[in-house]
Amino acid sequence: MEHLLPRLSVDPRTGSHPSVRFDSRAALPGPLLQLSDGRQSFIDEVVSRTSSEFAHKDHRTLLAETLFLERARLRRTKGGLSSPFLWRRKLDDRSVIGSLSSALDHGGADPKELTRVLLNHYGNEICGNFSRKVYDFAVTTVPWGFSWLLNTASLQNFTPWGRAESLASRIRVVGEVPLLQKLAKEGTVLLVPTHQSNIDSILVGWVIHLCSLPPFAYGAGLNLFSNPVLSFLMSRLGAYTVDRQKNSDLYKGALKNYSTTILGRGVHSIFFPGGGRSRSGALESHIKLGLLGTALQAQIENFRLGKPKPALFIVPMVTSYHFVFEASSLIEDFLAQAGKHRFRPNDSAEGFPLKALFKFFWKVFSQRTEVWVRVGRPLDVFGNFVNDDGKSIGPNGTTIDPKAWVTSQGVLQADHQRDREYTRNLGDRLVERYHAENVVLSSHASAFTYIQCLRHQYPQMDLFKMLRLNPQQRAIPMGRFLEEAGRLQETLFRAATAGKLFLSDSLHIRDAKIWTEEGIRQLGMFHERSVLRFDDAAVTSDDISLAIYYRNRLAGYGFGVIHERDRKKAFYGETDAQGFLV
Amino acid sequence: MHKAFWSEATVAVIGGGSFGTVLANAIAANTAQVRMYVRDDEQARAINATRANPNYVKDLTLDPRVKALSDFDRLFEVRLDAIVFALPAKVTRSEARLVASRMHGTEVILHATKGIEEGTLKRMSVVLSEELPVARVGVISGPNLASEMARGDPAATVVASRFDEVIRAGRALLSGPRLRVYASQDTVGVEWAGTLKNIFAIAAGILDAKGLGWNTRAFLISRGLAEMVRFGVAMGAEVDTFLGPAGVGDLIATCSSPQSRNYRVGAGLAEGRPLAEVIEDLGQVAEGVRTTEIIFPFAESRGVEMPITETVFRILKGEWSVEAGISNLMTRPIVEDAMFT
Repeated sequence: MEHLLPRLSVDPRTGSHPSVRFDSRAALPGPLLQLSDGRQSFIDEVVSRTSSEFAHKDHRTLLAETLFLERARLRRTKGGLSSPFLWRRKLDDRSVIGSLSSALDHGGADPKELTRVLLNHYGNEICGNFSRKVYDFAVTTVPWGFSWLLNTASLQNFTPWGRAESLASRIRVVGEVPLLQKLAKEGTVLLVPTHQSNIDSILVGWVIHLCSLPPFAYGAGLNLFSNPVLSFLMSRLGAYTVDRQKNSDLYKGALKNYSTTILGRGVHSIFFPGGGRSRSGALESHIKLGLLGTALQAQIENFRLGKPKPALFIVPMVTSYHFVFEASSLIEDFLAQAGKHRFRPNDSAEGFPLKALFKFFWKVFSQRTEVWVRVGRPLDVFGNFVNDDGKSIGPNGTTIDPKAWVTSQGVLQADHQRDREYTRNLGDRLVERYHAENVVLSSHASAFTYIQCLRHQYPQMDLFKMLRLNPQQRAIPMGRFLEEAGRLQETLFRAATAGKLFLSDSLHIRDAKIWTEEGIRQLGMFHERSVLRFDDAAVTSDDISLAIYYRNRLAGYGFGVIHERDRKKAFYGETDAQGFLV
Repeated sequence: MHKAFWSEATVAVIGGGSFGTVLANAIAANTAQVRMYVRDDEQARAINATRANPNYVKDLTLDPRVKALSDFDRLFEVRLDAIVFALPAKVTRSEARLVASRMHGTEVILHATKGIEEGTLKRMSVVLSEELPVARVGVISGPNLASEMARGDPAATVVASRFDEVIRAGRALLSGPRLRVYASQDTVGVEWAGTLKNIFAIAAGILDAKGLGWNTRAFLISRGLAEMVRFGVAMGAEVDTFLGPAGVGDLIATCSSPQSRNYRVGAGLAEGRPLAEVIEDLGQVAEGVRTTEIIFPFAESRGVEMPITETVFRILKGEWSVEAGISNLMTRPIVEDAMFT
């Protein structure tokens, strides 16, 4: 059932999980190389596509609107730019916007031509600087660096087997890896991971390398570029920038066309379809359809042009962490939004300290925690499963001809309304698959159990009142906690059997005391205040908002619905009046 | 462009019951050919020979472009541009399974079934998209009593789909001098409205057979509508849909016409005849009986208040007499006359 990496040898001692060896060759860079050789041709294509998309508009109005939005945005982002990369971007923006504004206001310049200038600027900004040299350097150095870290870090626990235990027993890559490898040869892969942490970008990149896949183009939010070292590496390893602050139609058009162009040229891509990192800690329940829709557009074009390997595959990927280093700021943001506060922190302004990154991997390598990465079952651009040969399969086993799905009245072509519906279906399907591919960890289940106990204890309390409980009120007697934990585990077993989620190894232990202890220990690893702590008598929390954050990883399944005695059973997801995700 | 395309098209109608026949005839006026699938070979021959389907629709002479067939292989001999399912809810999945492998995937799918799948509570458009190699599915629903449509009385119907393409196809295929086709994006609402109204049609039959008047009927229709909306919204429907032809329109027609099958079931029950016998006499499928049996336990377990549905359910089950049901309804605690509470 569980596919392990073919290139990974199975550790004979642990048996069940793979261990990584770094003796393999790097995969070839593939079509992404075009980016380093013919960067300008990419940009030109993006510009001409976007221009023709907006051809029917009045360019003077279009440009005036765009420049107005851009000036407003530049005024908003005062200071807080933490890297030279972001500063340079801002300066470039300002000079282009400024000169275009005055050209539009005074000169007799053709607004159409000015629009092209702006689009060219956008194209340059979005497009990465893939570099073969940096790529080759990274694929040889990074694994070496990781090996070094692994060995050094594991010296910490001087057990006889300490050194022997491997990195891959800490970073567990499970799921449809062989199929992903196969499909990457037979078509173009769009990998769509869940997004919890800035670590995701690095982890996903590394998993791609582990799976011997060529480098992927990477749609990354600006926050990832706030660190100078990372921003240098990222852009040269195929990352392109997604600036969520730029909200004009022209920018969005250019961004989408960039994605369509690279997918159409067979460049495997990654982006996080949920938008930013999950603020609540929950799995994505809402998918941004704009960029996602570019897969269908590229698919239609491939069919129309009769490309030899036209298929696009959408591969969901779910990462599960015991701890997320930016959890505190994320949940604060969520609570501010849920509480309708005006204050909303700016995503791009937030730094990405290398120290945190190092600390994270140190914990991973020193074997004090584990990370699960699950490669989900691949889908076609409509959200249908594909079989081992990459053919689309309907829900009840019918074979689907994707060409027929984009043929209307005998003509194979794009149709705006139809394609939007298909993409919406794909988005719904991704949400469903994320939940089904999620590997539930003992820490999530422990946090869920604790919050559920609090909710039973204080049934009238909403989310915000719960945050203000005093230390005595927060303590849950151990007996009650374990009872609730056992109940949750039964529910999880049923859900896992029904294919609704996966359980990590420790959750298979039928002793709530063991797995909750492990879960609580894991939760305490990174945060200054204990998310949960326990003694013989009780379980309590020093930071309930963080407990809610980790608990939310189990939201969306309906496990949080509390059946109160005086009312009838509620609909799935209905008893959310108190602000809990259920 | 759409009219031009569809006037040259070939359309299959699967199901030769009363509504299937009427639909096939209406579509034939707008297309090159309609291939109507009926299960029985004898019936197919009779339809083709006499240009009529008297067992289901009296006094309708079929358009010469309608051809009846009783074999799926022959039905799919030519490439079909659209397929209309007009089958009882109970057999829609199994029949869809039979045609799935014969389809190309470009076909537009419509269905005219006012019922849901037992056990799963899946709507017919969901059942069809699970079984067929297509996603472009829509529903036809509204106050469309087959015999009146056969007679050519002016009427309205609704075609709903998430895909504009399917709506346009439905409009091109069905529109005629005597039929106005309204469009809706709310497939969920249109399908649930068409399903739920059958429950109240049974209740209407009961009231009429008891000789109760217009006040009572209006009471039934208005509070029945509230139950439909409450349940429908809980299932993801939009309220507006229930105020259109597919909602209140269909409800009024079925609760008023003695021709409606569900109405006849209710009337039979009120006369004190056992359910099995009533259904036997009807000779056709009355979706309302099955719908009530499916909906009420589900609504009860989920805390959706549906007192009229409960009454119909208990009368169907023989647990309550008609009188007990009515007096139970009249003695319930009175709530505010908010529409959906």
